[in-house]
Amino acid sequence: MNMDKVENTFFQRASRWKIIILLLILALIITVIISLNMGFAPIPFSDILGIIGKQIPFFDRLFDFSLVSPVNEAIVLEVRLPRIIAGVLIGAALAASGVLYQGVFKNPMADSYVLGVSAGAAVGASASILFGAGVMFFELRLIQIAAFVGAVSALFLVYNLARVGSRVPVTTLLLCGIAVNFFLFAVVSVLEIIAANRLHDIVFWLMGGYSNVYWQHIWAILPFIVIGIATAFFYVRDLNILAMGEETAHHLGVNVERSKLILLVLASLITAAAVSVCGLIGFVGLMIPHLTRLVIGPDHRILLPTSTIVGAIFLVLCDDLARVLSTFFGPMSTRDWPVGIITMLCGAPFFIFLLKKKKRSYGT
Amino acid sequence: MVLLTVDGIECRYGSVKVLEDVSLSVKGGDFVGILGPNGSGKTTLLKSISRILKPHKGTILLNKADIYSLKSIDVAKQLAVVPQDTSIGFNFAVLDIVLMGRNPHMKRLQMESERDMAVARKVMNLTNIWHLAERPINELSGGEKQRVIIARALAQEPKILLLDEPLTHLDIVNQLEIMDLVKDLCIEEKLIILAVFHDFNLAARYCGSAIMLKKGKIFSVGNLADVLNSENIKSVFNVDAIVTKHLVTNSIFVIPLSPQNSVTAGVLNVLDTDFETAQFLKIPVTTEAPFSPITKKTHKANLTMISEASTVVLTSVPFGDGNLQNLEAALIAVKKGIPTFVIEEVPIERRDFTGGKARALLAELKNKGAEFVKDQNELLSLLNVSVEKLKIAKEERDRLLDHLKPEKIPKEIKTKGKDKKK
Repeated sequence: MNMDKVENTFFQRASRWKIIILLLILALIITVIISLNMGFAPIPFSDILGIIGKQIPFFDRLFDFSLVSPVNEAIVLEVRLPRIIAGVLIGAALAASGVLYQGVFKNPMADSYVLGVSAGAAVGASASILFGAGVMFFELRLIQIAAFVGAVSALFLVYNLARVGSRVPVTTLLLCGIAVNFFLFAVVSVLEIIAANRLHDIVFWLMGGYSNVYWQHIWAILPFIVIGIATAFFYVRDLNILAMGEETAHHLGVNVERSKLILLVLASLITAAAVSVCGLIGFVGLMIPHLTRLVIGPDHRILLPTSTIVGAIFLVLCDDLARVLSTFFGPMSTRDWPVGIITMLCGAPFFIFLLKKKKRSYGT
Repeated sequence: MVLLTVDGIECRYGSVKVLEDVSLSVKGGDFVGILGPNGSGKTTLLKSISRILKPHKGTILLNKADIYSLKSIDVAKQLAVVPQDTSIGFNFAVLDIVLMGRNPHMKRLQMESERDMAVARKVMNLTNIWHLAERPINELSGGEKQRVIIARALAQEPKILLLDEPLTHLDIVNQLEIMDLVKDLCIEEKLIILAVFHDFNLAARYCGSAIMLKKGKIFSVGNLADVLNSENIKSVFNVDAIVTKHLVTNSIFVIPLSPQNSVTAGVLNVLDTDFETAQFLKIPVTTEAPFSPITKKTHKANLTMISEASTVVLTSVPFGDGNLQNLEAALIAVKKGIPTFVIEEVPIERRDFTGGKARALLAELKNKGAEFVKDQNELLSLLNVSVEKLKIAKEERDRLLDHLKPEKIPKEIKTKGKDKKK
């Protein structure tokens, strides 16, 4: 076959994509290791590598890890690592679901807020704060379960409200989502009014953060997020084609209603899992997919993995900053800064900078 | 060979019936034009065939299988659609969009193979967009976009191609190129082509057969020549049209007449300059075979036309035995009380080749009250008179009132000419 330049460039794309993903994974690992070092008590990198290495079977027989202090090991494994892993998972989840929502809705303004998923979680969380946040189920706090249930119920409600016969038109879905979203946030406001001395807790949850996360929370959300994102990969080409419009997608062999339902359920499950731990963290779901699309293009086959990893890196870095700031303001601050504030403070200006720079090539 | 059978379908939007009892059967190699005014159900027909709008009643069979029982992906391997409007959500490159046409042939998680690329390249060369391969779609012109969409449909390697006004955004060269391409595919690869057309002549040039829809029902179906005639056009589109054979392409040639266009002409000999001028001006004419005298039949047709006219104009042509009947026709018009104008640029003595018969008839015309004018300008100045102008030009009114009652001057003045245009 006579290959010309265009074809060559096209076929090189697959390997280019692999390199991009590998580099991003590398960047993520470096980010995690650097983040382990940061915090109130500085721990040398050699110890960090040792502690991690010790956890990996096979490695622990190759090297001698006896020099690592048990205190440091406890800090890294029980305090810092869960928090960082939570950051990785939540960042990945929010960014990935953002990609899915924006793809399905063909709308760059879509994120977990549009289907009321975040609002549902907020209602669940606020109600549980009011009526007994301390109750535990299987080592999970009630608030986490309530937020998850709230998020999934909101999706169920919106989806069924928007249904017209056997079809669920995107416009109706968006409008129902927005209406339910407003309604649910009104409910949150009502809960805030009657919350009295617990108002502070609700407000903090709404700001978004995961400063006191433990392994059991991570195990609880891990399957949803990992399986959710992995399953979504089977539908990335459908997402590309859905961007051509639903009728065209249908003509190109996509089972539109089914793909749409699967993608929205996946996106909402992923979001619900993340939000149940971290509360409402803005910006990541909306802007990380945008930002990645600006650099990498609209093809969801590469957009989904890169957004996922960039989301993870971004949230871990923002959480580092939150930790540094709360250490800096240590004596005055009773608890850590919610990372949701940082994501918006840092992310928005950076995004605007990028938007200005690449204005020409950015068509929606 | 691929077969598509539509059997008695009825489609509704809510409670509104948009298609009723539509049946047709097409096989590979058929190029079918779908004609009809806006809202007659053309697009709905395509939508029901492409599984967007399931019919309330009736079935659509693709190779004897109910198309609604098949999987989307299996239908997409055989049937491609070029929709009316194309909006694209994100800014994909042209090549990516064309390759999306390969989707029905690819498995989940599979990347495009070299064969997919070869197909894409082939159809992009056919549609003349290979040079645009890496350009973002939203930077293209409307015509280029349309060609991308057509290439994407062809990349599906379909057996059936549905085109919904595919030429809307294309200039004339592109229209012909695309339609030639589609026609070739229809013939060479035995594709079924179903295309909605607004332009009768494009339909006539490419379609072998046609369906004409009126208010959701098939008004006429069959060979193009049987469907596309002036009676059908009049009853379905409510517009007068002349249907002839085109001199160059030999395909049916339709000249729709805009409703306010109200000049007719007769009797003209086919292929004469006056005939061609009338064709060019899209004027309905009564015609006679080339170089032939006016026959009784044609004369009658001419009289019918005259009886519908509100004003008759007899031009300053030479008269021989062959066209003397035009004078008789004018005389009949005068007798019927239709305002009749006679242009006499050249004195009748110099253009009477009938041995005085024409002269006598002209004298009688004058007697019976036909208005004689000396040239076209005078005629036009008389015809252009409106009531308002009359108010302004009093003297003119007085002069004209003798001949024409202003309230009887219709807004649209029909003229009937036996016209040798200079």
